[in-house]
Amino acid sequence: MEMIVVAPPAPGRIEDLRRRFFATPLQSLLSLISLAIMVFIAWKLLNWAIFSAVFTTSGGPEACQAAAGACWSVIAARWRIILFGLYPFEEQWRSALACVTVVVMTTLSCMPAFWTGRRIALVWGTGAALYYVLMKGGVLGLLYVGEEAWGGLALTLFIFVTTCLIGFPLAICLALLRRSELPWISRTTGLIIDAVRSLPLISILFTFAVVLPFALPQWLQGDKLYRVILGSALFFSAYQAEIVRGGMQGVPKGQEEAAMALGMSYWQRIGRILLPQAMRNALPATINQFVVAFKETSLVVIVGFFEILASGNAAYGTGDWRFAYVEVYVFIALIYFVFVFSLSRYGAFLERRMSVGER
Amino acid sequence: MNSTQSSGPAVRIENLDKYYGSFHALRKINLSVKRGERIVVCGPSGSGKSTMIRCINRLEQHNGGRITVLGTELNDDVGNIDEIRREVGMVFQHFNLFPHMTVLENCMIAPMIVRKRPRAEAEATARRYLEKVRIPEQAMKFPGQLSGGQQQRVAIARALCMQPQIMLFDEPTSALDPEMIAEVLDVMVTLAAEGMTMICVTHEMGFARRVADRVIFMEGGEIVEEAPPEEFFAVSRNERTRQFLSQVLDH
Repeated sequence: MEMIVVAPPAPGRIEDLRRRFFATPLQSLLSLISLAIMVFIAWKLLNWAIFSAVFTTSGGPEACQAAAGACWSVIAARWRIILFGLYPFEEQWRSALACVTVVVMTTLSCMPAFWTGRRIALVWGTGAALYYVLMKGGVLGLLYVGEEAWGGLALTLFIFVTTCLIGFPLAICLALLRRSELPWISRTTGLIIDAVRSLPLISILFTFAVVLPFALPQWLQGDKLYRVILGSALFFSAYQAEIVRGGMQGVPKGQEEAAMALGMSYWQRIGRILLPQAMRNALPATINQFVVAFKETSLVVIVGFFEILASGNAAYGTGDWRFAYVEVYVFIALIYFVFVFSLSRYGAFLERRMSVGER
Repeated sequence: MNSTQSSGPAVRIENLDKYYGSFHALRKINLSVKRGERIVVCGPSGSGKSTMIRCINRLEQHNGGRITVLGTELNDDVGNIDEIRREVGMVFQHFNLFPHMTVLENCMIAPMIVRKRPRAEAEATARRYLEKVRIPEQAMKFPGQLSGGQQQRVAIARALCMQPQIMLFDEPTSALDPEMIAEVLDVMVTLAAEGMTMICVTHEMGFARRVADRVIFMEGGEIVEEAPPEEFFAVSRNERTRQFLSQVLDH
């Protein structure tokens, strides 16, 4: 005789809720109290942010301060300082375009269709040139604007992208040197990595911005901004090198042997076999490192750059709008969130894509 | 230097010594393999058989003696090593397929970047060899989606796509489930019948009996016995060989 086994029906949504939150009287009570607290907080927040908030600049700072809710007028009045810092007012469209350039360039290079050497080089080459010409000017009838006047979101994005762009290849070089078979190379590299990691980022930035000019000849110094970017790239690469090395250790030894047996050269083995697999292993930690690097750009304020956080500081300033700092910081937090959240989602997309061939 | 010269042995090993630290892994090995010859190497684990064939394409560096492959001596000259590796295919116990590439890409990459063949030609060659190992329909899958036996056949196809003159097999069936051993051995038998020079480290004595021209028994880093299979299995002179054979044949 055959027995027919029927799976018990899946509980409906309401039934599921009842089981999870209202199984016993005590549980029901706790659930209701928690719900009340959450509703209360949500109401307070919404009330502050939307219902009692002031959105227009018409009343000026005084009317805004008197309101019970948030004073978004400060954003409407000062958003240009937040986004563009000290960049000359008439030229700020250039800074805006430069931001768009960086975002487009980054988005394009995140798309698998652009993952060939020539296309990536094209995207980054054009992007970098466009950014530089837009921001600095001095050619094509654009007014010259020195690096010391760059600021806000455009500066934050520039520092982040160049840090990664210089730091990432450097990290791969360091990781490869560290696994060299020659002990003096691997040990020296290890020493450099550990030394950089044991220093605080602020001290590195300070050294590159302020101390280095004393040690270098005039022609080698470059602008302070580029020295700071180099310092931050060095810091990034020391951490990222260890992440890449960890990824490499996860690639079985047989992979390299198989590549050798097929006659591949050292660079072919590294580029085609080892690194693609190592980067897949290292992906979650790498995305993490990118997120940290994005947020650490705010530290350049220590050597006198007005990236987005410092520009925000200047936006509410000490004058009429000084009471509205919470609103400014919430606005900046939202901008950070948009970028970092996109980065995390992109990481998740890559992980899904790369796990196709997983055993 | 012309590696494709047709005279002389395919592989000549003279007084080969190999140490791991102070451990003497290979002791004065002498072996000459003619073109088209099929050699089966067997012996207990730790006897140095894998180490010996891994010396032939320089996955292990030898410490003494001479190895000459297709007329080219293996020494520190990187050019020589690359030249030999192009002509010597290898199949590993654990397949070592590249997991981030499809089966087809696994077979195409070395011909394209090492032999600089155009993509279309490399793909045609790859498909031909996948056909030969009887898995053309798996070409677009990733290695992780295949069974062990299928993976090992892809590994054989991948090595063959370089159109090597010599094939080394390092225990190709030892990591397989019993029901998959036959499909891999079948491919190897076909290859042997076509005249490929083969050196196989294996415990598959049925395979040795069927295709080997010579069977070599190693122990303690030395070649203890060397004979054609009929002689090797029937009238082994060496006590240790007889003991080993009774262990692998009686089960």
